[in-house]
Amino acid sequence: MSAGYRLPARPDRDGDQQLRLLEDAWEKAVPHWQDDVARQFGTHHWVPLRDESRLYLESLRAMMDLLDAAERDTE
Amino acid sequence: MTAIHADIDALTGLRAALTRFRYAQREVTDRGADAIEGTRASLEAKASHWRARLEQGRAELAACRDRAAAEQDAPVDCSGYARAVSEAGERLEHIRLWQQRIDQQVIEFQGAASRFKNLLETDLPRAEEQLAAIIASLHAARRVQPSGS
Repeated sequence: MSAGYRLPARPDRDGDQQLRLLEDAWEKAVPHWQDDVARQFGTHHWVPLRDESRLYLESLRAMMDLLDAAERDTE
Repeated sequence: MTAIHADIDALTGLRAALTRFRYAQREVTDRGADAIEGTRASLEAKASHWRARLEQGRAELAACRDRAAAEQDAPVDCSGYARAVSEAGERLEHIRLWQQRIDQQVIEFQGAASRFKNLLETDLPRAEEQLAAIIASLHAARRVQPSGS
């Protein structure tokens, strides 16, 4: 029998890293951008983007954990 | 860019980060989907392997039992074949359970993945466009030529 499917580098970890980079960019921008437009952008774009990204990446992490476990447990 | 344009610099940096994020996360979602399909294919190959072993084991066990029925005087031991059938059946069932767990988890995962993809394809470009407009208006207000124009 074949050795099974080898999962590539975990995409959820790369996704987490990308989100951290984006959060850093946001944190750098906030001190220089404090008007009503900034607050509106934060409410309508930034917060939904950050929250939805976190939800997706948590879900992806759970999925990848399960795939890893399935491969290991059926060797 | 001088310090008085720190807001423009910061927003330009944020916009670039949003664009990088969009491309990078698109790749992340593709890789996630590939991993699911890869594992599903792998489990199906393993299931197919053990299904074939089970069929072969059952045939060998049946043949052994036929020999045992034909041999009235000398006992024929078929326990090895019976164990092989049992093991193949257990391995196959184990793989089936994993396949079911993955199928269930995929259903839950697809909801989050679909919302996130929609965000990457629709909402995020809008946010980038809005930032570009804000940066352009800041440049215009200070009579500064945007870089690259």
